[in-house]
Amino acid sequence: MIHRLPTALVLVMLLCGSPALAEKEPLDHKIPPGYVPEEARDEQGLWMEFEEMERTLNKSALLVRDADINNYITEIVCRVAAAYCNDFRVYVIRNPGFNASMTATGMMQIWTGLIIRANSTDEIAAVVGHEIAHYTRLHSLQRLRDMKKKLAAGSVFDLAVILATGYSTPLGQMTAMMSVLSFSREQETEADLLGTRILAEASYNPHASYKVWQRIIAEEEAAAVKRRKPSAFSQTHPATQQRASYLESLVVSTYGEDDAESVADEKLLAILNNHYLFLMEDQLDTNRFGRTKELLERHREIGVEPSLVYYFYGEMFRQRNEEGDMQLAMDSYLHSIEAGAPPPDAFKSLGYLHLKSGDNTAAQIQFRKYLEIDPTADDRAMIEFYLEE
Amino acid sequence: MSTQLRSPINGNTHGRTLAVVATFLLLSGCATTSNVQQIDQLESIGENPRIVLMPPDIRYYLLTASGIPEPNAEWTEAAKTNFSKALLDYADTIGADVKLISADNMSADEIQYETLHSAVGLTLMTHHFGMAKLPSKAGVFDWSLGPGVDTIARNHEADYALFVYYRDYQASGGRVAFAILAAAAGVGVSTGSEHGFASLVDLKTGDIVWFNVVNAGVGELRDADSAAKTVNALFKNIPTARGTTEIE
Repeated sequence: MIHRLPTALVLVMLLCGSPALAEKEPLDHKIPPGYVPEEARDEQGLWMEFEEMERTLNKSALLVRDADINNYITEIVCRVAAAYCNDFRVYVIRNPGFNASMTATGMMQIWTGLIIRANSTDEIAAVVGHEIAHYTRLHSLQRLRDMKKKLAAGSVFDLAVILATGYSTPLGQMTAMMSVLSFSREQETEADLLGTRILAEASYNPHASYKVWQRIIAEEEAAAVKRRKPSAFSQTHPATQQRASYLESLVVSTYGEDDAESVADEKLLAILNNHYLFLMEDQLDTNRFGRTKELLERHREIGVEPSLVYYFYGEMFRQRNEEGDMQLAMDSYLHSIEAGAPPPDAFKSLGYLHLKSGDNTAAQIQFRKYLEIDPTADDRAMIEFYLEE
Repeated sequence: MSTQLRSPINGNTHGRTLAVVATFLLLSGCATTSNVQQIDQLESIGENPRIVLMPPDIRYYLLTASGIPEPNAEWTEAAKTNFSKALLDYADTIGADVKLISADNMSADEIQYETLHSAVGLTLMTHHFGMAKLPSKAGVFDWSLGPGVDTIARNHEADYALFVYYRDYQASGGRVAFAILAAAAGVGVSTGSEHGFASLVDLKTGDIVWFNVVNAGVGELRDADSAAKTVNALFKNIPTARGTTEIE
């Protein structure tokens, strides 16, 4: 049976190829603007799957349809994409997680969690640049092809081992999987590098490319419950710390130190101020209080309307409900009200806390103010019931 | 996604190869469908019962040598077209007016119901027809998409909606070669499969009044003649306007 081995090994070597011999090509877009899939079976199949997904996504209840937010994001995408602007359809998705994604067809998803984590429009643009680079370098297609090739080779190797030795090991497949994951990490690095370049070419601040990761690290550290195991995300993406560091040294060596003056980003602030309630409500609902607090801290620093930020401090403390939190929540609602532009719910939540602590008179004062500001509130009947008591 | 390698080799590999190849040949002719029927006859306030066919959720894949399925656009498009056409031809047999909805013209609700149908159908495959029976159901088939489906009835003036879900994995040449090599090593690997189901939903109640599972060998939708045969087999027991006389 030994004589079978050489043939099988040769086959494995043929299928694996030799990555060491491959020439390093300069990092640039691989496809022209207006790209349509080639007559390749796998590429057309991939496009069909994504087009099907997009048809569903178009009607999704999670899609943010607000014109204001969509225009803001689309403008960023178009500016970074430059000549590729018309190749993308941008979907803003209501999800408080930090994420953005791009398919081979140019269907781009931006989660609202990215908007509440950015300190500047440039930071959103940095993530957008990364996603566009995935697209122009055909990463989805390459990943599919890489996975097919390596897993086939790995499986053939495992069979060859069985035939040669009589023992079954998953060595070939495991090696193939490791190699697929490392290929995926390589793609992430490529997208970081090309993404940063097109970010700078679009006159956004290239320093945003690592700052966005520094903020993720800061948030991770502020988390009340730390991750015990690295997430699936970190297995395919370079470690966040490492990523922030290499991007920083790359950007500093290419573009110099960050000398941009720290000025308020009016566009981002307008988006946050006008849509803060629904954007932060989703974050609040994650019940990840350490992270929510970190984001609120940041929003206060970059100049989001204090009445809104303090209202959510109140909500955060009220929902966390640990020792002393009720008092902190009441103080926060009062802060929100004092700052001059509180959402009506600040009065209502404050009213409920007074009610809970047994101070009915104080509760009624707040409830009356609530109905004064928002006479058509959905819960008017409920509030009137408390007022009659 | 990955192939499981189970046993070390022993015995006569050539004999084993032959046995495995023979099994493939035998299996490829089999067809199994399981059918659930809740009503005897289609009802309508109009002259003929009106059925609307939701865009059939059909997908063809090429099963590559590694076992990773690769979506195939050409096969999928052909299968969808052939299936819809064959069903329209079959409408007379059912005694119903069948109308197709275009995938590009669906409302948000309709897309949601298609997704819900796939989820309910896959649940049924596992928990009604499959191994993991739900004890609380005690074998009773009382599945429904909910009365909200009357929005489909209003949009399309229909009494029933027909939902179809189908996935077909065709082995590539490389996959077949790999399977033969694997058979020589005493390892069984999949060389493709197909599965799917179709539901007839009463648009007044949302109840699934007829359900049919396709397990293996029934489906070949990529050419028109085979698609017609598949449709005949799949809808053989569907309730008709005249009642449930089985159609030959």
